[in-house]
Amino acid sequence: MITWVTMLVLAAGVFGQRLAGMVAVQPDALPDRWRAALDAIPLAIIAAVIALQTLSTAGSLTVDARAIGVAAAGVCLWLRLPLAIVVVVAAATTALVRLAA
Amino acid sequence: MKGMAWPGRLPLAPPAGSQLTWGELLTIAATYFSVGAAAAVVLVNGGTDRWIVIASAVLINAVTTQLAYLAAIDAGGSSWVAIVSGWLVATRFGLLALAVGPRLWPRGWRRAVAAFNVFDPNAAIAAREEDDDTARRVFTVTTLFLVPPWFVGSAVGALLADRLGDPQLLGLDAVLPALLLAIIWPRLATAAGRRVALGAALIAAALVQVAPGGVPVIAAVAAAGLVWLPERRP
Repeated sequence: MITWVTMLVLAAGVFGQRLAGMVAVQPDALPDRWRAALDAIPLAIIAAVIALQTLSTAGSLTVDARAIGVAAAGVCLWLRLPLAIVVVVAAATTALVRLAA
Repeated sequence: MKGMAWPGRLPLAPPAGSQLTWGELLTIAATYFSVGAAAAVVLVNGGTDRWIVIASAVLINAVTTQLAYLAAIDAGGSSWVAIVSGWLVATRFGLLALAVGPRLWPRGWRRAVAAFNVFDPNAAIAAREEDDDTARRVFTVTTLFLVPPWFVGSAVGALLADRLGDPQLLGLDAVLPALLLAIIWPRLATAAGRRVALGAALIAAALVQVAPGGVPVIAAVAAAGLVWLPERRP
């Protein structure tokens, strides 16, 4: 459980990191080469978060209903379906696979 | 600073000339509402006071931090171990701020507000715009469709936790990865984008069992360097 004190300590640390990131780079002094790599950082982070949220539980690799749900979302994206449908299909597929298991 | 502020109100619709769509905005709102509600149920069921759950949604403003803290405590860790693991998973927000910060507001109170509200989707959506002014606008409007629904969802989840049951039964844990996949999907059309995404996913998956929580994602940032590989000419 989270207490008021731990909550405030967590909040301070999270905001501090966000702010530190935001002030770390001076925009004017950025060569194009670094800008291209900076632009790719969100892509790298989000791909990593997707992999972990799909394939891991509490620090161990697991393949379960979520993986099938997210794969179904990938098929929807490949078919160029609207985003709302992509997300609903992911949740419904995951729920149905769990129900069947 | 000319061109840094808007003449009128905050943008509440996809800015003209941006890649952002209404479908994305509304799905982000619905997703973060459900993610907030689902996480709040988990936290309340884990013994956290419901008012702390609501306050921490607003003040920590990072769901993975709350859940990482809880996971570390459940695994028998001390408060400090759990706090550090909560901080570590939020390091990615610092790195996202590092990546998009130079394109948003270089100084002043707007920079602090933007920093507080850096999430995965708004950073990724800002990063895919070529023009800095458009990046600022899409960041703002995405944040407005993300953070308030997340607060409301957290409050609903915290107050109704006893009646909502197990969020996993509805498959809600697949909603956020599916949304994030959709957001990066256009960037997977290029070979460089695919290299970065696949490299990052492999690094994270390879490290998840051996490194503390948060570290696999930080290490995956190295995959951003794959944009520097020369393109193959056909």
